[in-house]
Amino acid sequence: MSSHGQAAEGRSNGVVLRLDDVHTYYGAIHALKGISLEVREGEVVTLIGANGAGKSTTLRSINGLNTPRRGRITFEGRDITNAPAHEVVKLGISQAPEGRRLFPRMSVYENLEMGAFQRSDRHALKEDVDRVFGLFPRLAERKDQKAGTMSGGEQQMCAIGRALMARPRLLMLDEPSMGLAPIFVERIFEIVKEINEQGTTILLVEQNALMALDAANRGYVLETGQIALADEASALRENEQVRKAYLGET
Amino acid sequence: MDAARGYWERIPARGWVLASVVAVLAFLYPSYAGSLAGLPAVGVYVPAVDSMVVMIVFTMMAVGLNVVVGYAGLLDLGYVAFYAAGAYTAAWLASQHFEQWTFHLGSAGLSPELPGIHLSLWLVLLVAGLFTAVTGILIGLPTLRLRGDYLAIVTLGFGEIIPQVVRNGDDIRGINFTGGSFGISPIDAPGFGETLSGAGLPVNYAQSFDRARLFYWTAVALLLFTVFCCVRLRDSRLGRAWIAIREDETAAAAMGVPLMRTKTWSYAIGAFFGGIAGAYYASFKSGAFPADFYFNISIFLLCMVILGGMGSVWGVILGGMILGWLNVEGLATIGSEIGLQDVPRYQFGIYGIIIVAMMLFRPTGLIPERRHKREMEEGVADTPLYDVSHGGGGQEGH
Repeated sequence: MSSHGQAAEGRSNGVVLRLDDVHTYYGAIHALKGISLEVREGEVVTLIGANGAGKSTTLRSINGLNTPRRGRITFEGRDITNAPAHEVVKLGISQAPEGRRLFPRMSVYENLEMGAFQRSDRHALKEDVDRVFGLFPRLAERKDQKAGTMSGGEQQMCAIGRALMARPRLLMLDEPSMGLAPIFVERIFEIVKEINEQGTTILLVEQNALMALDAANRGYVLETGQIALADEASALRENEQVRKAYLGET
Repeated sequence: MDAARGYWERIPARGWVLASVVAVLAFLYPSYAGSLAGLPAVGVYVPAVDSMVVMIVFTMMAVGLNVVVGYAGLLDLGYVAFYAAGAYTAAWLASQHFEQWTFHLGSAGLSPELPGIHLSLWLVLLVAGLFTAVTGILIGLPTLRLRGDYLAIVTLGFGEIIPQVVRNGDDIRGINFTGGSFGISPIDAPGFGETLSGAGLPVNYAQSFDRARLFYWTAVALLLFTVFCCVRLRDSRLGRAWIAIREDETAAAAMGVPLMRTKTWSYAIGAFFGGIAGAYYASFKSGAFPADFYFNISIFLLCMVILGGMGSVWGVILGGMILGWLNVEGLATIGSEIGLQDVPRYQFGIYGIIIVAMMLFRPTGLIPERRHKREMEEGVADTPLYDVSHGGGGQEGH
């Protein structure tokens, strides 16, 4: 079938995820006005931009919570434009959503189990829980505590751990630093690098552009539903426009 | 570690003892109900065995509704539709309604010449459960895409539509399906027939001197079966998915929970038990009448779930038995004891007051679900989606 050919093509240049002129609407509101981007294997790619620029909508379009009206999204050569959320998880994309969205009345352990919901190899669960506990020792201490009772930073760790439980090949993180104390923010970005070094490709949405560009290989700057700039992270960090708009320099 | 041990071993010994004692006491009820009723002052409030059957049947429906409302968090205001579907399945498959056909299969203690379809009532209960589950899926497919209040409104609609269909179903293209407003009666009773009567099993409940007791014991067995299934389901992968949807639907979808399929399963399973209960009740009453299937019943069942504790099986049983008792004879007894004969006329006002009082003083129900209970003890705010700090050492950075 043709998907084989596409898959081969996708791997040959290392592109894992590709968005091609994606338009997404909320009712009549045109939220994404033709987003095209790609994420290559092993990369950390960041989407930065102001509130309402379409960063989260881009992630929601990828993982199937929103369906693009036009355009095409492919993951490892497979068309996932119209795939429902549970299929996308199964294919290997998982997400730590904006605002964390843990299951507040489930324990930390149960939340992690939910992350592995779509996996059929349930026996390997223990191994992955241990891996998450290795990354976040704090979660191991709190495994029986209800997720809703933890601090914001701990909840964010749990949300990232939960997303890892799906054994994703592409991990999407939506504003992982939102509302956290500076010390937690640094810790979270260290973890992002660590996860990436362990071999997971990462698509990172952030308002904290400085930290995000430090952690990323490449970045896209979104403005009102369109890509305004795309470059290597180091280049974006030096870009005057970016410095003015997002890095707080005048 | 907990997960490593077997399912049954994780239940504490106290739980086993308590459950067994309650089950044994329930089965023995007919033998000591008489002595209880003889007690001074409180004796009059002891329900008759006949009334207990009705209470248990409604409790069974409440436990079924709890799967939809308590586990999956889907507000269903039309559960009475499932009760009706079950009752009419029994009416079609175990009565003389379709007198143009004579078909017997395992019917107990009836003359084989008796016209109409007469299946063994045990089979009818199963078929009623399955038929109602299919009804649940058919109602669920269009409605379960809606969320929250919208779902409640649409289910309310279905709860009204089904009784109307039943009331007007006596002439669909010349065929009388439902008997119109007269309903269908009589309906066969369960029994074990002549072949098994040698083993001491009753031939036919309705023809036995022990009718009430037999119906009672069977009702207890059916409730136990329902409870067993619902507890196992709650702790299964499917049950965890229901609770995830209840807690945060979007997050559940993002974790890979297929929303429609999971919600539809909750409808189908909730409906399954509602259908069995409905069919059994129809057999007990020996009739299915459209006037039984009013909106009030849906609300009444919902009150049982709320009173007992949403999501808590044991709570719902307690809530169901209390409200069931008030409904069947409690209010009338209280009324006559205090000299006000029309207390039962205010029943829905009284239930309303009970619910409001519960919301004020014990919002998680008489026996709260484990998850809610821990929340009360740990004193947690409800929505932690955005930053809520519980004094957890300096997590707020700005």
